[in-house]
Amino acid sequence: MTDQPISGVDLELVDVTKSYPGQERPAVDGLTLHVPAGEIVMFIGPSGCGKTTSLKMINRLIEPTSGTITIGGDDVRKQKVDELRRHIGYVIQGGSLFPHMTVAQNIALVPKLLKWDDKRVEARVDELLDLVNLDPGRYRDRYPRELSGGQQQRVGVARGLASDPPVVLMDEPFGAVDPITRSRLQDELMSIQSELRKTIVCVTHDIDEAVKLGDRICILQEGAQVAQYDTPEHVLAAPANRFVEDFVGAGSGLKQLTLTRVDDIELRSWPTASVGEPVAEVLARAGQAGESSVIVLDQRRRPRAWCWVRDLEGQDRVPPPAGDEVLGVDRRATLNDALDDMLSSSYGAAVVTGRRDEFLGVVDFASVTRHIQETAQQVEASAGSGPDGTERT
Amino acid sequence: MTDTAAQPAPTGRAARLRSSANREQLLLLAGIPVLVLVVLGGWVAWRLTADLDDIEARQLAWDAIGRLTWQHVRLTVVATVLVLLIAVPLGIMLTRRGFSRAAPLVVGVANIGQAAPAIGLVVLFAIWLGFDFWTAIVAFTLYGILPVLRNTIVGLQGVDATLVEAGRGMGMSAAEVLWRIELPLAVPVIMAGVRTALVLVVGVASFATFIDAGGLGALIQTGITLFRTSVLVSGGLLIALLALVVDWLGRVLETAVRPKGL
Amino acid sequence: MQERADIVYGGYQHVSLVVQCVALAAVIAFLLAVLVTRVPALEGLANAVSAIGLTLPSFALLGFLLPLLGIGPGPAVAAVTFYAVLPILRNAVVALQGVDRTLLESARGMGMGAVATLLRVQLPLAWPVILAGIRTSTQMSMGVAAIAAVVLGPGLGGYIFSGLEQIGNANALYSALVGTIGVVLLALVLDALLLLLGRLTTSKGIRA
Repeated sequence: MTDQPISGVDLELVDVTKSYPGQERPAVDGLTLHVPAGEIVMFIGPSGCGKTTSLKMINRLIEPTSGTITIGGDDVRKQKVDELRRHIGYVIQGGSLFPHMTVAQNIALVPKLLKWDDKRVEARVDELLDLVNLDPGRYRDRYPRELSGGQQQRVGVARGLASDPPVVLMDEPFGAVDPITRSRLQDELMSIQSELRKTIVCVTHDIDEAVKLGDRICILQEGAQVAQYDTPEHVLAAPANRFVEDFVGAGSGLKQLTLTRVDDIELRSWPTASVGEPVAEVLARAGQAGESSVIVLDQRRRPRAWCWVRDLEGQDRVPPPAGDEVLGVDRRATLNDALDDMLSSSYGAAVVTGRRDEFLGVVDFASVTRHIQETAQQVEASAGSGPDGTERT
Repeated sequence: MTDTAAQPAPTGRAARLRSSANREQLLLLAGIPVLVLVVLGGWVAWRLTADLDDIEARQLAWDAIGRLTWQHVRLTVVATVLVLLIAVPLGIMLTRRGFSRAAPLVVGVANIGQAAPAIGLVVLFAIWLGFDFWTAIVAFTLYGILPVLRNTIVGLQGVDATLVEAGRGMGMSAAEVLWRIELPLAVPVIMAGVRTALVLVVGVASFATFIDAGGLGALIQTGITLFRTSVLVSGGLLIALLALVVDWLGRVLETAVRPKGL
Repeated sequence: MQERADIVYGGYQHVSLVVQCVALAAVIAFLLAVLVTRVPALEGLANAVSAIGLTLPSFALLGFLLPLLGIGPGPAVAAVTFYAVLPILRNAVVALQGVDRTLLESARGMGMGAVATLLRVQLPLAWPVILAGIRTSTQMSMGVAAIAAVVLGPGLGGYIFSGLEQIGNANALYSALVGTIGVVLLALVLDALLLLLGRLTTSKGIRA
């Protein structure tokens, strides 16, 4: 395990049942599931299907009536419950940050419970804030109410990862934020996951989220009966039964688009400008590339704004952008996200970022449509049903 | 409190109510000391210049006033401390699993007790325990428990259940969640109850004089029995000022212990 | 028998004093609340005054009122009414402000005058909250009325003070219990009646 970059461990549920007194049918009825180390498994199903109950049995917020759950081979029931939970990350909708504690105090909670020394805790807090793309110097001492919803959720993720747990449980982690922020947070989670490779179990009600984030999707029916447990590609291409088909929904051909990452497409370069750089140099660069706009990067090479060349003319140096939002989509984002981004900006291309939001390049309409056509042909050839995705553009 | 840039500005009625509540709190925090100092100054000026007869001069002697005030303060402080020591742990217990069913019952009983006239409680305890400082303390403590008990229960029940679950889910023990999440978040509500109790107790402490337990109520009582308006009004005034000071201290404490992030 | 009749009469006087004073207080508080909601600058002042008013101990207030109004029902009525105004005022201000502005506009739009809007739209909608203030006031007033016996006000408070005077005597406990328990019981009965009044007078459309 140590010589691999995977920091997660295997998670195994065997015949796990939860029944409540006075209820005829168990909430979870004999759930058996193997989650391989370092993978993200998405629990999805109609409300009341037992997906959240199943999740909470893993960290024993709900005690199973029978069955065994093991993490890295260790039976969770054989461990002290608080000790167990300190080594399982837990991320909840909206972040559930403690409002009377600062961002740093929230993140430091579990490391302090584990009696880490102050130096190490402090370093860990900064490291995690950096990981979730929040500037430590700026956000460390803020209170949750001084953060936007997306920022709170980022801190929630950082808090869940604080003790570097091998297994992380997420309960509708991005359910409380707007769609654009949600897709940004999903991208960030994926890039974090590509670095850390934890074992993650995530409950969601959003099939697009499940397809996008999951290495595997576990579709649950009432009583947490597994309707299908497979990779997103297989779930979409070959639903196991009517229930899955209905659940995944019509237009699942279109959902294939969510399977394609920006990464899979060749990126184009684009002229950039740094804040404070002499405008003359920027103009020369843009002219050479034959573009009428440039992308402004900050000192950490994060894209911050599109800027028309004509707006720069007459100025001496590149002005700092307003606001503190980072532009564009992550390289792990789906084609869907990239298209959304392109359509909402008027520059005909989406900025693509990599690790720590660093600028990588852009994708434009031409390359996306080309890819969609290719995919459509492939899917048609393999599944026999033509997606109508091309009409979208 | 300074940097709320990232927070969407609260709109509409809620914001207006909140800002008016803040304005009121500020008005009281700044206004009460001024009011107290002005009225007290006026009374002292009157006392220094007034032409008093023998009885009045004896009742309103500086050392007598000082002694009665001290007794009044002592009654208030001791009873309030006892109230805190009893009501907060009891309130915590009644919100823990296993006891929470008893909470409505206990609050109901305490509510009925609140309807009992304080003077009646004082007299009944005096019949039972005799005329004594501690008798007064027992009666006042009992009287002051309800607001703190009720606010402790309401404050703890008002803590977002998902935060408690988040705490447990992260591996905090029940006691850690209580100390580090539930109580800090309930503090504003509990403190409002403490201030209410303080004001109640400082008021009922005026009855202590009826059972020889001291306090500024003595001035009113002698004022009535001896028909001395100056003594009567002085008593009323000094008790009112003391109550205002206690209320003000309660407000200061409330502001001071309020967790910063809320 | 005579004794029992005395107790009943004392209870009647107590309730009568409280009911009349609270009714008077409700009217005063409502009018003040209307004024406060019309002149926003008064709101903070009104709240501050009522907060300070509630900290004044009743015994101290009686001390002020006695020289002005003399021994007897005068200071009792004044003190009980004074305290009764405060919670009702506070609730009435919040409740009147809580009435949806669009409703007021539509009432005006239908041609209702200011008074008609106040009485037919605002008051019914604010009524449950105002009534909650009246309940608080009533409970408080029962206790204040008991203390008013110290200035020879009417009611059951006299039994408590006569119990105090007779301490050491067998009658003391009886007297004090009659006064204390009598007030508690009557307070509970009044509260129940107010609850019933609330059920009967709250529009079905806004009942929780």
